[in-house]
Amino acid sequence: MATMATIRADARAKLAGEQRYTSDLRRPGMCEAALVRSGLPSARLVSVDAARALGVPGVLAVLTGAEVGVRLWGRMARDIPALAVDRVRYVGEPVAVVIAETRAAADRAVELVEVDYEPLEPVLDALAALDPTSPAVHEQPWLYPSAAAPEGSHNVQSRIVAGDLAATEAALAASAHVVDQTYTSPRGHHGYIEPQACVAEVDDDGRIHVWMTNKQPYRLRAQLSECLGIDQQRIVVEPVAIGGDFGGKGAALLAPICVLASEWTRRPVRIALHYDEDLSATNPRHGSRIRVRLGSDGEGRFSALAVDAVFDGGAYAGCKVMPDVNLPGMSEAGTAYGLSVFALESVVAYTNSVPGGHMRAPGAPQLTFALESAVDELAALAGIDPVELRRRNVLRQGEPNLHGTTWTECRGGEVLEAAVAASRRLEVPPGWLHGRGVALYDRPNVPMRTTLRLSRAGTGDPLSVEVPFPDTGTGSYEAVRAEVAEQLGLDRAEVVVRLASTAELPPDAGVGGSWVTASALGAAAAAARAWKDGGGETIVASGGAEGPEVTSFVVQLAQVALDPATGAYRVLEVLTAVDSARVVNPRAHQMQIDGGAAMGYGFASLEDLDLEGGQVGAGTLGEFRIPTAEDVPAWRTVLVEGSLGVEPGGVKAIGELSNVPTAAAVANALADAGGVRLRSLPLTAEKVWRGLIASGDEGAAMRARR
Amino acid sequence: MRVSLQLNGETFSGDADGDESLLAMLRRHGHTAVKEGCGVGVCGACGVIVGGSYVSSCLYLAGLADGAEVWTAEGLSRTDPETADALAVAEALQCGACSPGQLVACWAYVHLGPGVPDEETIRHFFAGNLCRCTGYSTIVEAVKARCVAEGSRARGSSA
Repeated sequence: MATMATIRADARAKLAGEQRYTSDLRRPGMCEAALVRSGLPSARLVSVDAARALGVPGVLAVLTGAEVGVRLWGRMARDIPALAVDRVRYVGEPVAVVIAETRAAADRAVELVEVDYEPLEPVLDALAALDPTSPAVHEQPWLYPSAAAPEGSHNVQSRIVAGDLAATEAALAASAHVVDQTYTSPRGHHGYIEPQACVAEVDDDGRIHVWMTNKQPYRLRAQLSECLGIDQQRIVVEPVAIGGDFGGKGAALLAPICVLASEWTRRPVRIALHYDEDLSATNPRHGSRIRVRLGSDGEGRFSALAVDAVFDGGAYAGCKVMPDVNLPGMSEAGTAYGLSVFALESVVAYTNSVPGGHMRAPGAPQLTFALESAVDELAALAGIDPVELRRRNVLRQGEPNLHGTTWTECRGGEVLEAAVAASRRLEVPPGWLHGRGVALYDRPNVPMRTTLRLSRAGTGDPLSVEVPFPDTGTGSYEAVRAEVAEQLGLDRAEVVVRLASTAELPPDAGVGGSWVTASALGAAAAAARAWKDGGGETIVASGGAEGPEVTSFVVQLAQVALDPATGAYRVLEVLTAVDSARVVNPRAHQMQIDGGAAMGYGFASLEDLDLEGGQVGAGTLGEFRIPTAEDVPAWRTVLVEGSLGVEPGGVKAIGELSNVPTAAAVANALADAGGVRLRSLPLTAEKVWRGLIASGDEGAAMRARR
Repeated sequence: MRVSLQLNGETFSGDADGDESLLAMLRRHGHTAVKEGCGVGVCGACGVIVGGSYVSSCLYLAGLADGAEVWTAEGLSRTDPETADALAVAEALQCGACSPGQLVACWAYVHLGPGVPDEETIRHFFAGNLCRCTGYSTIVEAVKARCVAEGSRARGSSA
């Protein structure tokens, strides 16, 4: 098996700006389009008057929902209209599209489209939305195709329950210690640097070509086909690079409108969002309110867990991809611990806000912030050290988790000990308080299959490997290149990996769930075998990852320095200990860990995409603050090596681990430092300061200053 | 208006609206090595060198660049391959959306100052170059390495 330490094939092209992303494309005769978006969170759409907009030089057409009709799209539940018809349900919802010769003309004309609304009372809070007396965002959402809304429910996109509530209530009632607390987190944007964009073009044969910031080309094709009633074979999603994903680039979003605009004008059309639009109207991480009830016996052994989550799903459910239209991370509630008595309820509510989507381990960061904070609160109640409490409860080898799964290998205890052993107490400035917090998380590896095509144009040409999944930057292409080269005894320079169009390979799940590298290695091995056996000019082969059934544990220890006078704090270090099997590319693996922890830190301390009167408050990346090189804590990593990986290749996923426990680790560190328990993200200095005052620790804090 | 400039060492002349940014004008004329990120001077993806100064081209009016010498990542990666090499070798990139901006920033850090391989100074300078993928360690490492190499060369040539 290849281990890599060479420069990525695309590195120089990316640095020189030669790599083409969607908004860099220019098709012959291309025009540009911009969206007129709703300024109200809930309203009846009375009329759209485009007369003045059409007078702007260079403007070709203005399309509204009235012209294109009801065209619903969705990754699973199909409830999102390409353009609003009769009704708008969030600030930022597309109402019309202006098509012009230039983007500047389109942007100018957008301002001149006059929309007449009849305002309706919005519902902006998820909990309020579930009250049956609140306004209904949709009349009968269960009628949408593939909807998960229960019939007769009120503002429910999805409701899942698991476990045994009666048994859990009984066990909690009999517990020596019980924590019952509620934790909240705001909506969050993915913060990719490349804003969403799409280019659509209809060719002379009536085939529709689409280039998009989308990581799942075949699923995009399916979404477009269902939305527009066009046979999938008439749609080709073309290859293009993606400038960051983090879960945000799986929904069709702009694509249906872009295709409609291209069909209307019979010209190629590009829609490229400005970042302010991207912040306010794409598919952010769901805001959450999660109640955790956790009980233990007198020695701190967990007796039962009840998790009751309400997520703000926004105005439409269509940006989520699971069949239950819930957040997949919710199935990981409590799995890291030896627990058999549990009850889980997860409700995603409709509200009049931007539709929520998936973001890096969807649901898990919110859930883990709540759960791992509660574990520390239980530790405080029971008078047990937080690490010791986890040591007593972490899932052991051979022990089934609360879903009844017994992993072939379970290394939670080892990873926890490795983290603790590596941790060194850091200095804080004079007068500041020191705190350390711990949090852990486990995530199963999801094996998938994928397909590769190998071909060689002629002797002396490089071996070409076409893959069905885009490279979002994780290094998956380099892993495929190394693996194919190794298997066939070639120099890596003789192998070229490129993304195929959807016309070239069978349907594929694309990028998601941290499954790409493991699946691609399986497919690469299968393809290389077929190539050696067949000796033909072209080989198409499928393969993927298979057992053993493994989960990955990650433990983080965060250290903070807290200024008791102001509540300001610095996260000095985040130490990540992680289960690791064979590491394909040490640098890429490390960057997944560091980049994940940075995202976890942003979620913990900085990022807030909350609403002001129904509108996303952050208009720029200056206001929605993602971590900079100067903000980030020091990263330390402990790879707990020797773990079992999935086969072939013996690897474990790494993309969605280190971003998950960080917020709880930081919150626990702040509680350790100043006695302030914050249950709402982000953990701002102001909240810490208010907490210090409320807890009456101001005197102690001032004494600590001297 | 007509805007003429020396772009990456070659003569460029193109039309621009009075309120058009240098970023928008360059991209409209096919110079897509300059990337649009935040559009408000926060993320650094659109960084360029204008008349020897490091600027965010999204905030710089195209008309103001008339007559100036402008360098983008496309040109700088050609004239200063060592900077591109330092970033590539350290694998200081993933998706690449911020990378041309990181390259221009690295060039500016080394050639326009501060130029020292000091971690804190580098992190402060690069606070204007957002990257969501890497967690920044490899970028800082690359800039350090580039500074060290440049420093040895400077010492060598002055000796």
